[in-house]
Amino acid sequence: MGIEIQFIAAEKLKDKTPPQKVAFILDQVKKSKNRILVIEGSLSSTDEKELIAKTMGEVNKNFPGIEVASLGEQSSTLKTQLIKLLGGKSSGLTVVGPSTLVKQIKRDPDKLSLLTGK
Amino acid sequence: MPFRQFLSWLQNLFGSRQSFSLGLYGNVNAGKSTLANRISKDWSGEEMSTVSEVPHETREVIKKERLAVRVDGKILTMNLLDMPGIATKVDYRDFIKRGMKLPDAQKRAKEATKGIIEAIKWLEHVDAAMLVMDACEDPYTQVNITILGNLEARKIPVIIVANKIDKKNAKADRIRAAFPQHPLVEISALKGDNMDQLYRAIAQYAKG
Repeated sequence: MGIEIQFIAAEKLKDKTPPQKVAFILDQVKKSKNRILVIEGSLSSTDEKELIAKTMGEVNKNFPGIEVASLGEQSSTLKTQLIKLLGGKSSGLTVVGPSTLVKQIKRDPDKLSLLTGK
Repeated sequence: MPFRQFLSWLQNLFGSRQSFSLGLYGNVNAGKSTLANRISKDWSGEEMSTVSEVPHETREVIKKERLAVRVDGKILTMNLLDMPGIATKVDYRDFIKRGMKLPDAQKRAKEATKGIIEAIKWLEHVDAAMLVMDACEDPYTQVNITILGNLEARKIPVIIVANKIDKKNAKADRIRAAFPQHPLVEISALKGDNMDQLYRAIAQYAKG
């Protein structure tokens, strides 16, 4: 079976609270063992922390966890707030996949490489 | 957090606080418990954690309270917290590959996930942190980045510890280049190398 890569626009998550955002991401990842999410925009460090904690709460013999990596600005700075206020989009992306599919995500400061396999 | 800032202001007003909590964070098998044991043994004469090659040996927060550390004639009193290693996945099959029986492996995995959640919760409560990294491994892990991001957001002082420098393939410079915004100390917790430098860094950066 092939790998499904699902791209999610920042718009889809923008009105969600951090717990809703994390629940949505985890739900999407768990829906298919062959799905990798590529989300427009980077998760904040708080979102990432919540995502790891929620993932750990859901680990079982069929779902051992996730691989996740964000690229781009993670903290909400005055610059990013101003960009959002003016209707613009902050940069970055987040990649999330089940660890049964995504074996490793290698990160360079400006580059992500995914190693997949079953 | 306003209450935390208020508390900090009060502490500054009436002199430095009596003791502070110092959390040891990092990826699984970075050497946190070896370091906790080294610090604890140096200042209390006894170890505090169990060390193992099998991942997730530390599955709950282990505390050593009121550890008195002498640095340049001054005494720092700290509560040392050895945190479970943080990971984004815990697979019981990995423990079976290491020779564990199925029920033990499943139990260990369950305890490990709870430990990770506990360590994450503690990110909001430590006064200072040491982020321990294996100098032989790639420092750009999501776990390291997430831990640092959360500590930075709360303005909690962080010392990066490049551990295992006694190993031939250790590259502490790679860690320094990855996270130049924080003080870094190169050590070998196993051999006890550069521990004096680490205690000075704790006195300089972690003691608020």
